[in-house]
Amino acid sequence: MYIIGENIHIMSQRVKDALQAKDARFFQERAVQQVEAGAQALDINLGPRKKDWEEVFPWMVQTVESVVDVPIVFDSTNLLGIEAGLKKVTKAQPIINSTSAEPERLEKVPLLAKKYNTRLVALTMGASGIPVGADERVTIAIEQLIPRMLEIDFPMSDLIIDPLVLTVSGCQEYCPELIEAIRTLQVAWSPSPVISVGLSNVSNSVPNENRSLINRTYCAMLMGTGLNMLIGDPLDIPLMETIRIIEQRDMSTPVGRLFLKINDRIAASEYPVLEDVDAGDPEQMAIWKTVQILLNKVIYADAYLQL
Amino acid sequence: MPQVEIPKDSWSGSVTTVTLGATAADGGTRSHTITVGGHKALPFMHFEQKMAHRPLIALEIKDHRPDDWSPLLLDLWGDAANDPASWAKAAESAGADALVLWLSQNGTDGKPTTPQAAVASTKAVLQASGLPLLVFAPGQAELDNALLVPISEATTGERLVLGICEDKNYRTIAATAMANGHLISTRTPMDVNLAKQLNILVRDMGIPPDRILMDPTTGGLGYGIEYGYSVMERLRLAALQGDGNTQSPMIVTPGAEAWKTKEAKVGHDVPATWGEWLERAINWETLTAMALVESGADIIVLRHPESMRRLRAAIDELMSVPA
Repeated sequence: MYIIGENIHIMSQRVKDALQAKDARFFQERAVQQVEAGAQALDINLGPRKKDWEEVFPWMVQTVESVVDVPIVFDSTNLLGIEAGLKKVTKAQPIINSTSAEPERLEKVPLLAKKYNTRLVALTMGASGIPVGADERVTIAIEQLIPRMLEIDFPMSDLIIDPLVLTVSGCQEYCPELIEAIRTLQVAWSPSPVISVGLSNVSNSVPNENRSLINRTYCAMLMGTGLNMLIGDPLDIPLMETIRIIEQRDMSTPVGRLFLKINDRIAASEYPVLEDVDAGDPEQMAIWKTVQILLNKVIYADAYLQL
Repeated sequence: MPQVEIPKDSWSGSVTTVTLGATAADGGTRSHTITVGGHKALPFMHFEQKMAHRPLIALEIKDHRPDDWSPLLLDLWGDAANDPASWAKAAESAGADALVLWLSQNGTDGKPTTPQAAVASTKAVLQASGLPLLVFAPGQAELDNALLVPISEATTGERLVLGICEDKNYRTIAATAMANGHLISTRTPMDVNLAKQLNILVRDMGIPPDRILMDPTTGGLGYGIEYGYSVMERLRLAALQGDGNTQSPMIVTPGAEAWKTKEAKVGHDVPATWGEWLERAINWETLTAMALVESGADIIVLRHPESMRRLRAAIDELMSVPA
């Protein structure tokens, strides 16, 4: 699993404060922590920085590149800022996150990515928002995103399609559709496009104590589709452990066996069933309940684990 | 002609059966009780399961003459709207199945409604009419608690429905309802997840499922009814699929919503193509309510008796099982 660390994000108050104070050490520590925990690239979302982009983007590139060698993922809507940052990159091939199929973005962002030889995340989202259905998301990829790349002769191996994770709290019907979207995308083009998702979105607006469980359970399910790249939290130890268990097929613990079973069911285009679970083990039952909400079989509520 | 087999769904879950009101035999003073819910299939799918109980229609009355209601409504109710007892009698004679006494935020003196006044209005309505009664507080958590607790205590055993029970004040209202033998109506803002969550929270307090109604909130026709509709549809499907925290009967207030819309409220300076004002307003209320009945509403709270008659006629037709 290629993991893009998500922990430098302007939504975090500490990131906001550190950016305000130009606290280079804070960002360097976060960068190093994530890479040491297994991140192979670092997503950096500083917001649009409409006023100070000229200064902030290059500063951040230099700050982070002085301590780590991994690719920087420019997660912003401000193309001027991204470009200012790209000019300072000296290490790994960077990634731009993201374009969508929205006409103006699709016109401009791929050209920038091509000019600076970056990889590019492309969201399966058009001008009218995010479609619920798997088919519609795949259609956006093969009828809009990929043709645009071909049109400007952008290397397909540098295109990363993101079929979009939405939160189980409020957009529950999107969750199972994503599984189908990833499956279909892999066979919708030859060679199979690279696919990545923003995993933690699945637990947006979920109480903190349940976020990690939802994230890792969804991760086990999505890995069953063959997903091998995601933006997520490398400092989430149980998540990283779940990924390791699945990758190494580590059958040594009951919970690990359940995650493998879930993964295998999805891989076989099946759904996990209650018989896969040891109902006497509260941890396994919590995972089972989480699978049920992620498959939109049971309506999500903040207290879903209590039931 | 070949015989066509109509496909039938069979569901593992059902909607909880809830009885409103208590007669003297059960410690109340209502002339009769009304039962809602109990469904084992989607609304009016009699060929799958005959509908256990028909949707009931309640009329909304206030504790004093409201200053923000359409003149169409105030003209209709006339002097009866001056006090809750005469309004209750008028609504009963108009044919309501039940009454909703929706307390005002302020009294006629412009000051916040007092607990004493709220209790007096409730008792006056209980004396004036034998119909099952729902009492809704103004919808401000603290004031609601201050009004509903004394009402609950002064009417022990009546099996009133106390509302509006929200995430901010559910503990107080659920506790007093349990202590005094009443029901509660939980309200969440048009969201399946929040509706289920509040149901979990009130059930956690120990209130039995047969004392809970669920108000998923709706919008008037043209003002978000489609969101309300699909939330109700999802809740009802989940209920039938066996999700225990979505199985409460649903109550909706299309009267209050429809009469907020410009189309119902405004009679002048509107395009002539909008047609006659009263007819338009009644249509707005009736059509809003009708959509909600189709999506599974069990209790429909209306403001205009003509809307009630039209809605009831439609429900009569939907309830008649084809031979």
